[in-house]
Amino acid sequence: MSKREVYVIGYGITKFGEHYELNPSSSASQALSKAIQDAKISKDLIQSLYFGSLVSNRNGQSYIGAEVSRECNLNIPITKIDVGNASGAGAFHQAFIAIKSGLLDCIAILGTEKLSDFVNSSTLEKILGGTIDYQWEFEQGATLTSLYAWMTQAHMKEFNTTMEQLASVPVKNHKNGVNNPIAQFRREISLKRFLDAKRISDPIGRFDPATHCDGSAAVVIASKEFVESHTEIERKVKVVGSAQSSDKIALHHRETLSSLLATQVTSKKAYEMAQISSKDISIAEVHDSYPIGEILAIEDLGFFQKGDGGSATIEGKTQINSDISVNTSGGLKARGDPFGATGIAQIIEIVQQMRREADQRQVDDIKYGLTQNVMGTGASVLVNIFSNLEEDK
Amino acid sequence: MEPPKIWRERREKYLALGVLCHDCKKKNFPITQRCPDCTSGNIEEVKLAQTGKILYFTRVSQTAKEMMFYAPYIVALIELDDRIRVTGQITDTKFEDLTEGMKVRMVFRTLSKNGEEGLIGYGFKFVHI
Repeated sequence: MSKREVYVIGYGITKFGEHYELNPSSSASQALSKAIQDAKISKDLIQSLYFGSLVSNRNGQSYIGAEVSRECNLNIPITKIDVGNASGAGAFHQAFIAIKSGLLDCIAILGTEKLSDFVNSSTLEKILGGTIDYQWEFEQGATLTSLYAWMTQAHMKEFNTTMEQLASVPVKNHKNGVNNPIAQFRREISLKRFLDAKRISDPIGRFDPATHCDGSAAVVIASKEFVESHTEIERKVKVVGSAQSSDKIALHHRETLSSLLATQVTSKKAYEMAQISSKDISIAEVHDSYPIGEILAIEDLGFFQKGDGGSATIEGKTQINSDISVNTSGGLKARGDPFGATGIAQIIEIVQQMRREADQRQVDDIKYGLTQNVMGTGASVLVNIFSNLEEDK
Repeated sequence: MEPPKIWRERREKYLALGVLCHDCKKKNFPITQRCPDCTSGNIEEVKLAQTGKILYFTRVSQTAKEMMFYAPYIVALIELDDRIRVTGQITDTKFEDLTEGMKVRMVFRTLSKNGEEGLIGYGFKFVHI
């Protein structure tokens, strides 16, 4: 494998939530401009832009890259990468490969989504239907939420995971989100409120899913050679692993519903690339679009034994500055989930933590940080690993 | 849903046909051009088992407009007697009366309605036996 070293040199992010006043390209351009400013380099040094979005093409303009290029006055290649609702991390992975390959030295990656434009809930349901097997799950009557309900049932049945353990995931993430200025929901929600909420797809309650919102996030990455020859760059975070793999899209085609095979395979590849193990990870941003998502993640990434994710969470082992700090940003649950922007927002949280810019949610003594972005119910998973070791700074 | 798609899927949705591989002897659903297990092209269409059991089930109250007329409805992961697993709705049965492992039978029903004048989508659902 190429020995070329890759660094994140800047980031920019908009507040996540409902931004009726912004059109998609303006939201995207805001995040991109901030990221370039943060990197302290001239925008003319950026050689290519990779962007990830699930539905930017359904707001009318089929290729919003063209609008972003005008608004930011860039004449570089702009390419959309499609990994469904994990397109943000997908774009990052492809940009990482492009720098590793040696062809490019400095790339901007942009994740964006403008979901408040879809006021008709049927439209958004169909969009979500596209992240599962549209023909043989969605058209048969299943929805993303109902499939996560089955995955939750499977975990409860096999490992005696309780409703209290499940609800402790969003309780923790809302607590973390209070201190994240870009989070959509900066307030705590009690365990009782999660448990008492109406069930929408048993055992999933009304407050369990992450909300689908507007937001854009961007990072600039560069090769070590580029960083060394541009002394204006002040801060950098090293990317030591980046991987992706797939699984069968339909749950009815999978061997098990209580693990995400794609998370297991992808994280193994990423750990190998980084030459570390799951024990070396201090902070992780994982895909908690439903409570079971985070429990599956912390098990399949190897942080806890299979089946122990629920008890580990309720015992506080994933809180800030505990065994492993999981979703310090508030996760998808409190930060909000603008699909394509989520994968990049996860990376930004790790970068902020490593640059010690996370204020009240700051984790002490970070060695390595990890992000896990999931497409649909796990048809594709991306994992990125970042180093905070002195020799990598 | 567009007419070419409805026409293309008629054998799977209306007749519940899958494929049997003559090389690895495995049965799969839906119809593919190659065996998803061994990638052999030596396959033929076969009918799925008409009865099976419920593995998982839950309620759906929010989905696409074309499917909302039965909502809230029950959707389940079914294992047919030939070991093929499919996703489908449970109809003519109350949610409270369902249990895991319950035996079900495949029935032909309406799946979606596109307004007053649009096409009607048909396919299989399941009833408790």
